Amino acid sequence: MNARRLSPLATVLLLIGAAIMLAPMLWTLLLSFKSNAALMADSGAALAPPWTLENYAAILQGSLTMQWLVNSLIVATGATVGVLVLSSLAGYGFARLEFPFRRTLFVIVLLGLAVPEQAVILPRHQLFAMLGLHNSYPGLILPSLTGSFGVFFMTQYFRAIPKELDEAAMLDGASRFTLFWKVLLPLTIPAQATLGVFTFLAAWNDYWWPLISATTSDYFTLTVGLASAQMNYAQTSGLGFLMAQAVFASIPILIVYILFQKQIVRAMAGAAVR
Amino acid sequence: MYGLELIDVSKSYGATPVLDRVSLAMPPREFVAFLGPSGSGKSTLLRIIAGLESLDGGEVRLDGARIDHLAPGARGIAMVFQNYALYPHMTVRENMAFGLANAKVPGDEIARRIAQAAEILEITGQLDKKPAQMSGGQRQRVAIGRAIVKQPRLFLLDEPLSNLDAALRNRTRLELAQLRERVDAGMIMVTHDQAEAMTLADRIVIINDRRIQQVGTPAEVYARPANAFVARFVGSPAMAMVPATVAGAEGGRVRVRLAEGATLLTAVPADGLPEGAAVEVGLRPEHVRLAAPAGEGLPARVDLVERLGDRTYLYARLAAGPEIIAHAPGFSPVRSGEAVHLAIDAAAAHIFAADGTAHHPGARP
Amino acid sequence: MAWRERLAGYAFVGPFLAVYAAVLVVPLVMGLYISLNNADLFGQREWVGLDNYAQALGDPVLHQAFGNTVLLALLIVPPLTAIALLLALALNRPGRFAAVLRGVFFSSLVLSVTIVTLIWRFILVPDAGLIAEGLEAVGRTPIPFLSDPDLVIPAIAVTTLWWSLGFPVMLLLAGLQQVPGDIYEAAALDGASRWTVLRRITLPAIRRTLLLVVMLQTAAQLQIFGQAQLLTGGGPGGASRTIVLYIFEVSFGRWELGYATAIAELLFGMILTLTLLQYWLVTRHEEPRA
Repeated sequence: MNARRLSPLATVLLLIGAAIMLAPMLWTLLLSFKSNAALMADSGAALAPPWTLENYAAILQGSLTMQWLVNSLIVATGATVGVLVLSSLAGYGFARLEFPFRRTLFVIVLLGLAVPEQAVILPRHQLFAMLGLHNSYPGLILPSLTGSFGVFFMTQYFRAIPKELDEAAMLDGASRFTLFWKVLLPLTIPAQATLGVFTFLAAWNDYWWPLISATTSDYFTLTVGLASAQMNYAQTSGLGFLMAQAVFASIPILIVYILFQKQIVRAMAGAAVR
Repeated sequence: MYGLELIDVSKSYGATPVLDRVSLAMPPREFVAFLGPSGSGKSTLLRIIAGLESLDGGEVRLDGARIDHLAPGARGIAMVFQNYALYPHMTVRENMAFGLANAKVPGDEIARRIAQAAEILEITGQLDKKPAQMSGGQRQRVAIGRAIVKQPRLFLLDEPLSNLDAALRNRTRLELAQLRERVDAGMIMVTHDQAEAMTLADRIVIINDRRIQQVGTPAEVYARPANAFVARFVGSPAMAMVPATVAGAEGGRVRVRLAEGATLLTAVPADGLPEGAAVEVGLRPEHVRLAAPAGEGLPARVDLVERLGDRTYLYARLAAGPEIIAHAPGFSPVRSGEAVHLAIDAAAAHIFAADGTAHHPGARP
Repeated sequence: MAWRERLAGYAFVGPFLAVYAAVLVVPLVMGLYISLNNADLFGQREWVGLDNYAQALGDPVLHQAFGNTVLLALLIVPPLTAIALLLALALNRPGRFAAVLRGVFFSSLVLSVTIVTLIWRFILVPDAGLIAEGLEAVGRTPIPFLSDPDLVIPAIAVTTLWWSLGFPVMLLLAGLQQVPGDIYEAAALDGASRWTVLRRITLPAIRRTLLLVVMLQTAAQLQIFGQAQLLTGGGPGGASRTIVLYIFEVSFGRWELGYATAIAELLFGMILTLTLLQYWLVTRHEEPRA
């Protein structure tokens, strides 16, 4: 850590940079507080009062946006729970149990980290079509569960727990599952929090897959719904409403960010310290 | 009926042998120390008894019944780990209850045993704390408590004193001795510190190089070490081994000649030690003194002086080169580099033949 | 007893592996197969061997998309790395001010691509955009960032820079914090200037992190999709069409699944090669790590 104070020039530059970072979001916020009519008349109107909450009211009064919010919640939560369960189980297995082909299987899982979305997404679309999984919650959740990062992360974390604890538990007559459930798993809670937040964010913001898998608008997630709204705004809803939708879509994720900033940073930093 | 029996226990890691046909019979309620240098196999042996490692050959029996095929939790054995292995997310009470809960012991019995153990170990006030909130010494007592409540037939202690600082070590040594009186079970302690073994154990099992070198009481292994290794390992400072040749027998006792020509008449019977055989003479520091009057005795040059308050050890070299250690009472004025003369109590000397076998002095004539 | 452990092992890793195999490995293999066919979205297949690949290599639209994508990556990755490094160095200090600023610079990360493009559309667009408002206020005409073929790629680049800044900054901060403080103290005692410290001590120490940042960002920016689709639709006239956008158009616009998959495999191969090349170039002079 640098102990020196920042030079005035550096401070000014940083503040300008911060302003550039925040300005777009503030502009969006301002626009959302103007009625559509006012903005149609004069687009510069956003910088002056009057401001209104009518766009937000419209959203809350049962527009499609609420359904999108629910979908996003279901998909992101489902993905998070699924990833945590599967990754914890697999992480324990890879870290602590001996079975044939363990190392090979682990390498196969690691290789998954190198596979980009485009190599898989089109055939996956075909496969899901054959299985009738489109326009359904399982269809939206399943792809998130194949993330190798979760398994890698949990395996490393389990490996770091001293084996002596396992041995003490064995001498205490614990079965394999009791050992997993009562002794080791509680010790992984920080890792679960980090992985959970990371997965939630990724699933919430996912664009391409939900775009092609959810074709009926009642299965859109917020991310996809906002894209379709963006394309159509002039005809349907108006600029103010659109911006309100954008702000509305950002709120859950910004809440998660503020609450879990530490976990997010740790998850990303964990990737650096490999 | 025997407590623990090891019958021809062998183990290898891949192609590397670690234990070679180890056999031992330990009466119930005995406190045994497995003593040996690192890598000797003593910890492996302990873990095999606990069931944390498998054995490749032989059997382990407890109270007559074979246990080596049983799961660790089913053997009636409790272990105190070197680093305590307390469950960090559980309170002390939960740590101690865990094993009993797994064995489906009823709740009120669990509570009773915990309260009792906590009182013996003086940790009653800590029962709702977590390990991280406790000092090292307290954690060790919790680890011991966790073992006590299981009411095992055998306690295993893995290097119980090596993590502690000197002051705590002495105190814990006392506590272990007290504990031993209170529990109705055998105890096996693994250590590399011969002082620990000597002070706590009823019998010491000295293990080196994959085999048991000697089994005996502290007095036995000290006074009659079975071979050169045991002789050097037990006792601090170590016994000096001075090369010599057998010069002949007098009255059935062996006379040896040292390299520089001086001879010593020992009390070791001459059987099996032919004239001219190359041997080593084992001398403990307490049998080597500064000669008085000065001028008589073996000449030596002092390399190093260790003054401990009640006694001084002089690390010296004899004229022909071999090292020897002498004992002087109180604060000796001898300085490093000085030439001295040493008086040797040859009647206390041991003789070690070239194949390592030990010949001990008989009764004084 | 050992078989019980083996069974337990499979029981624990089984659920994940089952999903992994079904939803990742199977499609991956399917993809290779499909790319060797003329296939459409509805299941029709016709074996054509490597024709799709040949067609891809000669496709002028793909060439344009390739050029666009590479240009985007070049416009984004170096400035992104440099700015992120400067920010990480500046923000690697204790105190409220730095902490708040770190929070600000990370915040754009958590937004989805649709929100980001929505926000930036209304910065860049000539009517109602923030920049346009500003320009009008000083009497200049608005600039059509999203419809001028020479400006679309820079526009997408700036949007992506704004969006992606947080992650490299985070990684570099983590890397900087790994550097033991006593190295800096030793340098101070050796009378090193700040520039020397930066050049000879800090940068070499975070070499691996820098490499990671460059590798990850290159791979990511070569796969730009949402920004191109939503901000400009790939236009005008394909001036901002990226490879992945083209893949999307071919598969869901023209329904030529086989061809699209072939292009996807080519992109995959390109990214993999580039990543390995970067890794090798930087680490070949290093001693092997313990």
